[in-house]
Amino acid sequence: MRDVYIIGIGITTFTRLEYPLSEIAAYASMGALKDAGVTDVDYVLVANMGSARINNQSALASAVVDTLSLTPAGAVRIENGPASGASAIKEGFMAVASGMHDTVLVVGAERMREVNNLEATDFVATLTHPMAEYIYGVTLPGHAAMFTRLYMEKYGVTERHLAMVGVKNQNNAMLNKDAHLHQKITMDGILDSPEAFTNNPWVAEPIRFFDCCPVSDGGAALILASKEVAEASGKPMIRITGIGQATDTLAVHERPEPTDLMAVRIAAQRAYEMAGITAADIDVAELHDAFTILEIAESEEVGFFEKGTGHLALERGETAIDGKMPINPSGGLKGKGHPVGATGVAQVHEIVVQLRGDAGERQVKDARTGLACNFGGFGNNVVVSTYARED
Amino acid sequence: MAVDLEKILRPVDHPYPPYPAKYMTLASGETLVIRQATRDEVPTLLKHVAPLVFVERDYYDLVAARVYAELLGWYHHRMQDEYVLVAQIDGELAAIVNGRSVSPKRGMSLHTLAMRRGLRVGAHAFAAKMEYHIDILGQDEVLVVAESPIGFRRWMIEYQLEEVFDTAHELGGVPSYSLTRELFDRARNSLVVGRRPVPEDLLAKAHEAILPPSDPPTPPADLLAATRAKYDATGSALILQRWAQDRSAEDA
Amino acid sequence: MEREVNAYKCRKCGTLHYPFRMVCKNCRANDYFEFDIEPLPKRGKLLTFTFIHNLPAQFEVARLGLGIVELENGIRVTGQVDIEDPTLGMDVVGNVEVVRHDTYDDRYGFVFRAA
Ligand SMILES: [Zn+2]
Repeated sequence: MRDVYIIGIGITTFTRLEYPLSEIAAYASMGALKDAGVTDVDYVLVANMGSARINNQSALASAVVDTLSLTPAGAVRIENGPASGASAIKEGFMAVASGMHDTVLVVGAERMREVNNLEATDFVATLTHPMAEYIYGVTLPGHAAMFTRLYMEKYGVTERHLAMVGVKNQNNAMLNKDAHLHQKITMDGILDSPEAFTNNPWVAEPIRFFDCCPVSDGGAALILASKEVAEASGKPMIRITGIGQATDTLAVHERPEPTDLMAVRIAAQRAYEMAGITAADIDVAELHDAFTILEIAESEEVGFFEKGTGHLALERGETAIDGKMPINPSGGLKGKGHPVGATGVAQVHEIVVQLRGDAGERQVKDARTGLACNFGGFGNNVVVSTYARED
Repeated sequence: MAVDLEKILRPVDHPYPPYPAKYMTLASGETLVIRQATRDEVPTLLKHVAPLVFVERDYYDLVAARVYAELLGWYHHRMQDEYVLVAQIDGELAAIVNGRSVSPKRGMSLHTLAMRRGLRVGAHAFAAKMEYHIDILGQDEVLVVAESPIGFRRWMIEYQLEEVFDTAHELGGVPSYSLTRELFDRARNSLVVGRRPVPEDLLAKAHEAILPPSDPPTPPADLLAATRAKYDATGSALILQRWAQDRSAEDA
Repeated sequence: MEREVNAYKCRKCGTLHYPFRMVCKNCRANDYFEFDIEPLPKRGKLLTFTFIHNLPAQFEVARLGLGIVELENGIRVTGQVDIEDPTLGMDVVGNVEVVRHDTYDDRYGFVFRAA
């Protein structure tokens, strides 16, 4: 396999965007093309979950490649639920590593705010098991809530720990101009004051409003390239060192140990093995905190902390930007936002920004290696990838 | 004999008790004060409402335009028994809610306009309005409608309002929903919060001046582009607007 | 007629599956395309639960109880929970009722109540 580098990155602000989905994708792509200093690519991968249903547009990749005037490059849309973004990166990686292509554009985009919140919630819920889960009214917050309750019971995680993740990430997002939420929150405001539980109502007990990511529109893009192209570009040499993917049962209730996220664990092991590293070698991570409990659980499953101790590391401040294992300096899904198809790409966008040393106030000091965990379904399709700066 | 037309046009307001101010902590840790606005504060409020008339999303345009008209109606004595509550953070205007009394037993909720988002300021202000009608004015019910899906979700589902579809609401003549005393009592614990009395310095700060909202929804660079774009197949009005926004972002 | 939720038993190794899958997850035998249909028991223990407050539009209720139940035969199922104040591990009994209205169709599934 050939080595694969990321030579260009682009992103839109994550917020409510008033222009067509294909243009959101194109906007992020133009940023990445400009950053890489290229005007042509061999192959285009478009990660997106909902275009056909939410935006009434199918075959999105054909629209994006044309909007960017990149025809006749090959173009494919990747739909893999909330893990669409990292899945597209993996396909792009394989396209370059195999020698089939030298320069690949990977873009993720979603426009969910075109419909109201109820429809968006129902749309995302369609990724659950149609007969065994969806019909009952299961939503993703519902899954996260049932998981949280077990985690609390088994490991002593409390509402306070969940709120700490929310406060940390939403306040990190204050330092990220592209983040969706630019609103400081405090423990007093969402947990301790007499008004806290009205400010922070139940979404799915025991999960509250500020435990959940917002519904966002947005796009993010990367240019992947072979070593030869990367060296010629003059950009920092950031290599994709490992990518692992794993799946788990579609119905969450079928898993033997309901507090396990087996697919996260195996995907991480596969990525580390490919990179020839361990969790201890990672300087900065972007984890998939669609719900606050997921940052805690994933931080354990990818091996940063022992199972059942992620919340203790959080308490000690180890996951802060200046901590021992900084997690979600971008604000994470919680603060930066979660345009579903874009998320996996945006996580890697942040890793590249960090490894380039371009993160400004949210820069993790001396970051040379990074990890991204893109969590699809409720843990049934997960991609973990690792990155290193080589120059 | 000269007829005093103004006397005929001007409704007589009934002497309703004032809304007692309250305060609460927001998710941000900031303190929100909700109090009754006075008629002479209307020009200041109008200044802060006006830009929202051009915010073409979440029905800000429609709600702001109607609030503007209702504020003017109150100011010029063309609306009967209207009241306005303002929610302020450190003096800054965070939300405006208004309504009126149809009769001593029935209230009419008009609008909820939030200038700070993401902190449930609008929800707190709306709850204060319901509290005013039911607890302070002693009314049996408040008629409510929602003009946006967000509003519908929040008010109709959270409070589980009763349908009173034989009564047209004053906003647009659409069928009303009713928040009854019974429903309000059921929702009270989870939705109505706040502490009284407001510490003197906080209240003084709120009364001193209604400061402009610090981060209101902003009108697009190109006013009414979304409205015009409905008749523009290629969406050029929106494209032009995006370019204008990109230019101003690059300049900044 | 009492309604049932069915599990699917592999004809080769006897592994019980819920929900249905085309290939047995235990023996992966792919030469038997038919499974034996076996109604699930109704009694079990509540493993976890939630009350969802932000529901898809078809549900016109303010909150909906959901949970995962381990049935007497060890199979786990997701279902609605109609219990005011549930506790982890409590005994529950399921009834098969309408759980969702899909435009013109009713969908049936488990609703659990305290045993
Ligand atoms: Zn078998």
